[in-house]
Amino acid sequence: MADRDVERFERTILPHLDDAYTLARYLVRDEHDAQDVVQDAVLRAFRHFHGYAGGDARAWLLAIVRNCCLTWQRSRPDRNTIPLTADTAEARGPASDQLAIDSSERAVVTRALAELPPEFREVVVLREVEDLSYKEISDVIGVPIGTVMSRLARARKRLAALLGAGEREAS
Amino acid sequence: MRCNDCRDALDLYVDNELAPGEMADVREHLAQCAECQSAHREIVATSRAMRAHLVRYAAPDVLRARIRNAIAEEATRDERPALRRWPWMQLVAAGVVIAAASSALTFAAIRYESPSAQLTSTVVASHIHSLVPGHLTDVQSTNTHNVKPWFNGRVDLSPLVPNLDSLGFPLLGGRVDYIGTHQAAVVVYGRRQHVINVYSWTAGDRQTREPVTSSDKGFHVVHWTSDGIESWVVSDLNAQELDQFVRLLRTVR
Repeated sequence: MADRDVERFERTILPHLDDAYTLARYLVRDEHDAQDVVQDAVLRAFRHFHGYAGGDARAWLLAIVRNCCLTWQRSRPDRNTIPLTADTAEARGPASDQLAIDSSERAVVTRALAELPPEFREVVVLREVEDLSYKEISDVIGVPIGTVMSRLARARKRLAALLGAGEREAS
Repeated sequence: MRCNDCRDALDLYVDNELAPGEMADVREHLAQCAECQSAHREIVATSRAMRAHLVRYAAPDVLRARIRNAIAEEATRDERPALRRWPWMQLVAAGVVIAAASSALTFAAIRYESPSAQLTSTVVASHIHSLVPGHLTDVQSTNTHNVKPWFNGRVDLSPLVPNLDSLGFPLLGGRVDYIGTHQAAVVVYGRRQHVINVYSWTAGDRQTREPVTSSDKGFHVVHWTSDGIESWVVSDLNAQELDQFVRLLRTVR
């Protein structure tokens, strides 16, 4: 591969590495596995870069990351039950004192998300964390927009119920 | 608009996915229907809670370094054999070298003394190998007080492990490695997406040798000897910042 292809790849794809890593963190739910999955995904992206016809580079990369996450999950079904901890140390978020105040609420939200089935969890992460449009989500996960719509609506209903239950427990 | 139609459209309304006319229809219906309003509030609250509390992660420096390295390696596979070695090594350093165009002159001005070119390439090869996933650190910690004692009983010296985090060089961890016949304590630091490996082993004599900068395959290497310890620092970081790092390493305790 020519130097300029590498350069073009680094310029178009690598800026979305944080997004890729974030998606992997929520789908595989382990810091080190997420790193391995993302590295694998980026290398695949690099190998298939000639097939990338322009357009939304982020959605293109996220689709590959998501597929790698699925493959990873299938390869170790026993590890799907690892609890998701609200790991804030490396997070790019508000100042640390603010984090301390938020942390209990953050833990509740994070746990609620972890309880969703994977096909619901991914649409929530893509919509609320990655801020993708329905069209972009449908591109990433390869389902019609109508399916994205209904999954997101059902996921939110479940989350609302889980968060409501958490609040009642807390009070 | 009827309630059923409104409910079906509420998520799209919240996500701003409706056509302008439909947005107006939902807004109008919400203004006069308390039940749909309450359903709307629930969706908004859930979405806000997710946005406020779900963390956006930053890809760690080590991951970025590994990816850059893996891409550089991958790129060589497609190269014609004659073009092989040089282009990919340059690729590894390309970003740095281009970005550090200003430091290039400074760098060129440095006199190269390579008392042991072979040792330099051995150290560089070890550095490249360390970037393979899982090979960078045996003890992974950003805490000096975890890393320094870890070397006790593993190597015959106690390497310098200053805390340079506040100066922009976070500690990533440590490992034991072999450079030729030397058993080396390796302390690993990061700088943005770059990895810096600091090798040290017991020197053959107690002579002090000032730092000498060289480069091999696009990596910058600085080595010196003091207090009976021979130290080698390798990174694809630009020469200026690596110099700065070496100065800090030798002064901060």
